[in-house]
Amino acid sequence: MNRKSQRNFDKVVKLTVLALGLGLVLLPIWYMIITSFKPQTMIFELPPRLWPQVWTLKNYIAALGKDKFGLYFLNSAKVAVISTLLTVLISSMLAFVFARLRFRGKETLFYIFLLGMMVPPVMLIIPQFIVAKWLNLFNHTGLILVYTAMNISMQTFLLRGVFENVPRDLEEAALIDGGSPWTIFWRIILPLSWPGISVVIINTFLYSWEEFAWANVAIKNSSQRTLPIAIALFQSEHLTEWGQVFAASLVALVPVLIIFIIFQRHFVQGISTTGLKG
Amino acid sequence: MIFLLPGLILFALFFLGPMAYSLRISFFEWKIVHPERSIFVGFENYQHALSDPIFQRAVLNTLAYTVITVVVKMILGLSVALLLNQQLPGRTFFRVAYYLPVITSWVIVSLLFEYMFNGQAGLVNYILKDFLHLIPKDILWFADEYLTLVPIILLDIWKGIGWAAIIFLAGLQAIPAELYEAARVDGADSTTQLRYITWPLLGPTTVFLVVVLVIGGLNAYVPFQLMTNGGDPLDLTHSVLTLMYEATFGRLDFGYGAAISYLLTGFVFVISLIELRLMRQRAD
Amino acid sequence: MKSNRIAILIFSLIIITATILAACAPAATPTESPAVAVTEAPVVATEAPTEAPVVEPVTLQYWHTHSDAEAAQLDQVIAAFEAANPGIKVESTRYAYSDYKTALLTAISSGAVPDAARLDIAWVSEFADQGALTQLDGNLPDFEAIIADTFPGPLSTNVWQDHYYGMPLDTNTQVLLWNKSVFEAAGLTAAPTTMEEFAAVTCQLTDAAKKTYGYAEGGTYFWAPAPVFYAMGGKITDEKITTATGYVNGADSVAAFTMLKDLYDQGCLSPNLLGGGIATDAGHAEGTYAMIIDGPWMVDIYKGNYPNFEVNFAPVPSGPQGTTSSVVGGEDVVVLADSKNQEAAMKWAAYLLSPDAQKMMASVGQMPTLASLVGDPAMPAYFAVFQEQLKTAQARVPHPKWSDMDNAINNAYQRMLKGDQTPQEALDQAATEIDALLGK
Repeated sequence: MNRKSQRNFDKVVKLTVLALGLGLVLLPIWYMIITSFKPQTMIFELPPRLWPQVWTLKNYIAALGKDKFGLYFLNSAKVAVISTLLTVLISSMLAFVFARLRFRGKETLFYIFLLGMMVPPVMLIIPQFIVAKWLNLFNHTGLILVYTAMNISMQTFLLRGVFENVPRDLEEAALIDGGSPWTIFWRIILPLSWPGISVVIINTFLYSWEEFAWANVAIKNSSQRTLPIAIALFQSEHLTEWGQVFAASLVALVPVLIIFIIFQRHFVQGISTTGLKG
Repeated sequence: MIFLLPGLILFALFFLGPMAYSLRISFFEWKIVHPERSIFVGFENYQHALSDPIFQRAVLNTLAYTVITVVVKMILGLSVALLLNQQLPGRTFFRVAYYLPVITSWVIVSLLFEYMFNGQAGLVNYILKDFLHLIPKDILWFADEYLTLVPIILLDIWKGIGWAAIIFLAGLQAIPAELYEAARVDGADSTTQLRYITWPLLGPTTVFLVVVLVIGGLNAYVPFQLMTNGGDPLDLTHSVLTLMYEATFGRLDFGYGAAISYLLTGFVFVISLIELRLMRQRAD
Repeated sequence: MKSNRIAILIFSLIIITATILAACAPAATPTESPAVAVTEAPVVATEAPTEAPVVEPVTLQYWHTHSDAEAAQLDQVIAAFEAANPGIKVESTRYAYSDYKTALLTAISSGAVPDAARLDIAWVSEFADQGALTQLDGNLPDFEAIIADTFPGPLSTNVWQDHYYGMPLDTNTQVLLWNKSVFEAAGLTAAPTTMEEFAAVTCQLTDAAKKTYGYAEGGTYFWAPAPVFYAMGGKITDEKITTATGYVNGADSVAAFTMLKDLYDQGCLSPNLLGGGIATDAGHAEGTYAMIIDGPWMVDIYKGNYPNFEVNFAPVPSGPQGTTSSVVGGEDVVVLADSKNQEAAMKWAAYLLSPDAQKMMASVGQMPTLASLVGDPAMPAYFAVFQEQLKTAQARVPHPKWSDMDNAINNAYQRMLKGDQTPQEALDQAATEIDALLGK
């Protein structure tokens, strides 16, 4: 075997392994897709089939046709987009402080912030609710603020690593030219950290898009509800329209997928620039 | 200071304040409607948790789950990343496909795994019994305190490989190609390269992943809740968080629930600090 | 050492928090240290931040877990109520059943509650014990007259410490469902009427080779074996709910569980009840399970999922004493103690129990709780067997610790099925556990 065919052989082996793994990874996804196209009577037929006997679009028509599905979708989009922007802004400002400025107790403060990514959110629901009641925040603003608060820890952690890798010479030049910290942050650090910020965008968008527990308790006005709540309502006590739940969930996946595909180029590059220093 | 302020306000208001409130609850037999009538019990809730066999079992389950899922996700994630890091046709397609499980809804995929692991006519039993002939009769996965953990762990691994792979991939791309070139010139085979270049240089990535995945594992809630109906059989299959949730919202024992959360958070914090120290050391 | 510095920093952070909290707090809130400000504000807060002015017209918030079809019908009921009560508006909010209790408890813990709510009957005493519900006797005008017409079983679920904290809104119970084609294939024409017959038929209709079973239960939580348990004369506690010893482990209770365990050991009771098997509704329609015991909602489920399946109901077979029985299910309507609109909320609750409202909801499968509506031509035909069964059906123990008691029995049932304990041993243990919950 010469070198070239050896390499080709390698490639085939690797592709085969990848494809086999892919089969296992995609099997449940495949089930998810076919379930959404099955009539209710055959949703969980046993023994299971890999190819449904009957295909139907009914679930999609019923789920998307539910009176407020479009509205819930827009509510979710609004909340997720604003939470994401706010998280990016706030986390990057915090990360800038932790990466660049020097003051007493910085490390300790940083560790306190880190606590935010370690606490189970369920634990905080009731006190957060009390704060929200006190500030009259049973609306989208309340969702956005809580999502941002719950996200800033991990994203600040991530971004601090990114900012630490931005070469300092650029800033020094700017400082000599009389630039303020704000100019440095806005003109130098942020543009150079775009890949890291993409990571934050993907993480936060996914979180805010699918968050359920807080949205379930904090939103009382049914026209303000978000998509996960609407999907949960397809389940009633005795009868759940699983076909519709699957159809709606697949539709709900699309925006997250789009965000991932748009930002994934940066994503791969972005994480590598976090530097991953504690 | 202007940079710190918005983050601090938000964090204090919706995170630290609520944390303090929870801490207070954990020392009381809490009355939800009339908190002023709550009875101060000191550390009783904490003592109760530590001596409660159901809690101890939940801790064991959670630890086992965390160790297994983190290790397997790291190994498989790294393997996938190594493969995806090469010049192969359809690379982007593979990346997206392996990432797909990460963004699926927990509720839906838990249900799917239950369906596939159905004890009387599920796909998994069919493959094991009628196709591979590995088992003589159908297994009732969810009726057994240990077997129940199998679909739960597999689900988490399935859902988490993509994320670990993407992070490893990022780490791999940061390794300068020249190093491999030099090694090849010196006649090092790919195993040696993996051992002496890839693995050491992935150190920081590895520790970062471990920190984040361990936090996620110890905080496992949804798959346990959905697949065990909160502890079935015999309250032997709780995770720490499902137990906390049941105490709080099922039995209205808010003090006990808060105490459990604090024990968990304390443990996670200590573990994470240790991991971060290690991360420092490896990075330096 | 470092820990010292951490402590100082945490402290200074709390001070920062305090300043910030004070700064963004509404003018009315006291300026205090953060923990106090956060923790006590909800208790002190009295202003109602709802848009509606507090004087007339009142807008009531009503929470429920109705299905889509029921919610649509509820809108009709609301319209009728609003027409009859100008000045009161009702806004209904639907929750998913599995997340409802969390939403309610969170709301209750901060005082931002709905005015009225539809609650699972098993929760009323628990919520009443917390002080979350308004006592209705002595407060709601005509209360005695309203409840005089309700079934006693459902009504009893509203009592906590000799007072009423709710009214039975809708009710249901479980009866036997038997798959006619499976029965006929075995040469049988009618459902069993006694437990002895039931046990025999269950095994007769079991075919191990085809993996079909004579009888199946949905799980081991008490609701599932409850009809058999009560029909066999089983009891959980005494009437006054003071002790479980001698009741849950009494001869009748043990006999009930022994019968089920024997059926399980013989392979006649499907193993799905231990979790992760074929669901009872689908299994019954497809002939895997010849008999199941379930509620009136099965009619709609089968209409949706198995349009060609013929549903057959029969009373739960009678136990050795010759009486049938079953378990009471359903929902109660309650008024929340923190509601600012007590009077209007009670009016709404009372209206929901009026024959008009009950009839409207009956058309979407909600069984009325009013005895005077039995046999009413407006009722769907399939209600008859359930209403008959309701005459003997029993409510589960109305006690705030019921979910713990349920868990104790559930675990006992599992231990005996797995063979870890005999039914007597398992129930003895359950009795001890329940006695502890009763504060003995």
